Amino acid sequence: MASPLGLRPAVMVSSLGPSPIPVPSSAAELPFEPDPAALPAPGHAERWPWLLALRRQRPLVLEPWLRAIEIGQIEPESDLLAVLSDQLDGDAAVRLLRFWWQHPQQNPSLPNLVGRVRDRAVADLLAAALADGGEGLEDPACQAVLWPLLGHQRRASDFPLLQRRALQPGPRQVRQSALEGLSLGLSAWPLPALRSTLISLASDLDPLLAGAAVDALARLPDARSPLILLSRSSLEASVAERLQRRLRALPASTLLLLVHGRAEGFIPPEFHSLAAELEQRRGAPVRLRALTDPSPIPPQPLGDPLSLIPLFLLPGGHVRHDVPAIATALRRQGPVRVLPFLGAWSFWQRALASEVAQGAVDSCRPRLLHHPIAGPLAVRYLAHLERVTGAACIQTPEAYVDLAALAGDQRGGLIPLSLGASRLSESLAPLLGEAAAAPLLARPVLREGLLQALEVLP
Amino acid sequence: MSLRALAVSGSDPGLGLGVVLITTPLPIPDMSDSAAAAVDGAAGATPLGAPPPLTKLELAKSSFCGLDLAPRLDELGRMGWESLDEATLTIHLKWLGIFFRPVSPGRFMVRLRLPNGVISADQLEVLAEVVDRCGEHGSADITTRQNLQLRGLLLEDMAPLMESLERVGLTTRQSGHDNPRNITGNPLAGIDPDEFVDTRPLVGAIQNVLLGPDGPRNLPRKFNVAVGGAPDSFLLHNDLAYLPAVWKGELGFTVMVGGFFSAQRNELAIPLGLWLRPEELPQFTLAVLRHYERRGDRTTRNRSRVMYLIEALGLDAYRAEVVETWGALAAGAGEGVLHDGSHLVSRAPRDVCGVHPQKQPGLCWVGLNVPMGRLDSAALYALVDMARGYGSGELRFSESQNVLIVDVPAQRADALLEEPLLRRFPSDPGPLLAEAVSCTGNHYCGLAQISTKSTALAVLQELEQRLVLPESVRNHWTGCPNACGQPYMGQIGLMGAKARKDGQMVEAVKIFLGGSMADDPQLAVLHEKAVPLSDLPDVLETLLVERFGASRRNASA
Repeated sequence: MASPLGLRPAVMVSSLGPSPIPVPSSAAELPFEPDPAALPAPGHAERWPWLLALRRQRPLVLEPWLRAIEIGQIEPESDLLAVLSDQLDGDAAVRLLRFWWQHPQQNPSLPNLVGRVRDRAVADLLAAALADGGEGLEDPACQAVLWPLLGHQRRASDFPLLQRRALQPGPRQVRQSALEGLSLGLSAWPLPALRSTLISLASDLDPLLAGAAVDALARLPDARSPLILLSRSSLEASVAERLQRRLRALPASTLLLLVHGRAEGFIPPEFHSLAAELEQRRGAPVRLRALTDPSPIPPQPLGDPLSLIPLFLLPGGHVRHDVPAIATALRRQGPVRVLPFLGAWSFWQRALASEVAQGAVDSCRPRLLHHPIAGPLAVRYLAHLERVTGAACIQTPEAYVDLAALAGDQRGGLIPLSLGASRLSESLAPLLGEAAAAPLLARPVLREGLLQALEVLP
Repeated sequence: MSLRALAVSGSDPGLGLGVVLITTPLPIPDMSDSAAAAVDGAAGATPLGAPPPLTKLELAKSSFCGLDLAPRLDELGRMGWESLDEATLTIHLKWLGIFFRPVSPGRFMVRLRLPNGVISADQLEVLAEVVDRCGEHGSADITTRQNLQLRGLLLEDMAPLMESLERVGLTTRQSGHDNPRNITGNPLAGIDPDEFVDTRPLVGAIQNVLLGPDGPRNLPRKFNVAVGGAPDSFLLHNDLAYLPAVWKGELGFTVMVGGFFSAQRNELAIPLGLWLRPEELPQFTLAVLRHYERRGDRTTRNRSRVMYLIEALGLDAYRAEVVETWGALAAGAGEGVLHDGSHLVSRAPRDVCGVHPQKQPGLCWVGLNVPMGRLDSAALYALVDMARGYGSGELRFSESQNVLIVDVPAQRADALLEEPLLRRFPSDPGPLLAEAVSCTGNHYCGLAQISTKSTALAVLQELEQRLVLPESVRNHWTGCPNACGQPYMGQIGLMGAKARKDGQMVEAVKIFLGGSMADDPQLAVLHEKAVPLSDLPDVLETLLVERFGASRRNASA
């Protein structure tokens, strides 16, 4: 056919192709009897349209089909199961699973097609069978098929079973499938127990198992922290690489380190150094802000989550009033997560206790010298700190000249409770020496501890 | 006479399109008010002349839009998906591109949208991490719609995945079920020395309109749209295809409608008799889909594709209604030009593998053969590095399930060819593997009768050991009559089946022959029923020798 434009003619095809399988469009055209005895055999040309017609039967009476499979009248072929599977109830699924246990060679894909049914009866059956090895389930390959299905049931009470099977020595295939069960039910399990289980598995000698544990761990809430902690342990090389890939994909939020600062918002260099190293370790921005800074806080890029870290050591007025006010202002710009003030972190209290112990001379512990604070909260906090560290907390005298008397006290040394260089640490330096009077961030162990704690934050 | 006038008068444009069509319109219910129809159906009584009751599936679809689940993904991930009923899990989540897979319960599939098959290295890197996180369960398949679908994901992955995708400009929206699927275009758009028009901006603009506030949310069935831009843009298997065409010296597109493959029927698209300017494509596409959404058949699912609507209305009436819908959509909408359907597509799609010069001087694209289109995380990461290291950071996917790295300086092509990944994904594959297309197979699909990808790979590798072929042979493998692997488009098509051999029921394939995507398109027809897989290499060897000019290596030796 010539085109008026002199171009090649259009393709004029109304029905080039075969219609290889005529399918009745409705029951009105071809009455359909869903009788198992009438199911065309595999390979028969009519089987496919027959199954399509069966699929349209809703609701389908399942009993004849279950019975036909159980007595061997028809084979549980995958195409038939695919049609039946979305109409199965729990009891039907249980019957088919029981059938498969007796004839596991018939169709290896049966459990998956049937086990999609989430039902108490199915979960009970799976749990009972797997708890004691299951009659007829000695074959690890058979067990391996079922552990994921148990996890798919997402029943919290099955966690201990899955956990034990994944952790305990046994056939590799079974342990991996139990871990897959844990992965499939991830959000159904008790989080702390799940986290510790996955951390244990991540160090397993089987790299496949360990890698899968790392992948599951990376999906948990606040996954950066356990992953970073895990990265500091000795892992098999491929697992360690996998862990680093997971970490790279977990975006760290911007940290805003709120410090007291000095006049006009000046921030001592210890904090700048800390922020720079932290930024490098986290691969995410770390901002510094002094309470004394009179300028407005620069806005956060839209949508970027922000974590506000009050680097204060005592629950004074700044912590109780200024920090909440700043958080409120920041929340107007976007999502903000506010962490407790640093002095409340248990790791920090333990680190201080360690520093105190290190500074003890002849069982005489140094005292912690702090800025003046008042109020019942402060009193309780200081009492708590004394219990944790074993060091007396002493308030700085109103007149710094009186520091000399404190420094000369023979009952022990002094540690200034000041993170960065401050009037307190500077006043102590001539009395105690630079090293002894160093602010806390100038002390390597404390600084590294703080860096590690901040690094693992989300 | 404008088409708008035709739409009103209903007169025959007299183009003599030569298409056998039903010209007497059949009564087509207006299904635009699904909720009302649902109420009627639920009442159990259908008044005379009232729309028929909705099927259970249509009731589920009309109950709420799956897109509304998007804000709940995070909650579902944290709290578990126990609260989701079967319909939500298996139907509505597909509006977000999330597919529950019965064969691997708990491990989901996610299908993206990649307009024109274009993706950046930054985007692919995000997907590589997603697949990597799924360990041995993770993979990504290149689809026959230049798209990617990821496998092995947990529901807990979805909320962070959607955030990650959004950050890099990707979406999975409306990529499954009864929605307009990924829009395809020339995989070489913008770099093709032979192209008539760069399809990328057109495909992108159509997607923007379809996913925009006026786009369809509840079609009667899936809907495929494609835009051709080159002499080898074979697109007649789409419900709506725009083929480059000239009218009065102006380059535009002739509209083809109604192509589809299914278990019941296979059709190539036919000319609608309309020519459009490029800028008219987005709104016209929207009109076609809005019309289909309103008028398509929702009572019989296997007769719901748009070709059935065209036949029921008659081509002229269908065109008139679509044009009317187009005019009603927006002031200033075009009217189209009556056209005889002639176009500039004249040859079968090229083999994109190998090193080829782009139209930009000094640059080339390197096409790599991805066996059966399956990618793992290592391959994805390697492709990211290669796209960044050798090209502009852009990659393309072809309908033949292969990948292209573009904008490679010609002097760097040799170095690229030395990359380790090319040992798995060669740029010079054998003539059978180069043009092999496959559906996902029974590893992930309960309907598939065979493991198509692994079977195809094993059989084709065996045949390439045995034979020398003068040219590539397009072969399409599919696991069941649903024909996702498009067996009717292959010079050889293979469809999973069962056969009896030595008294045992064994896996087999039906063989189809004769498919052509050249200037005289043909669909393949059944050649041989159910060949057991164990016999398949020998049967195909004979076919290739007798019909495709292959010679046996041992014979030549």
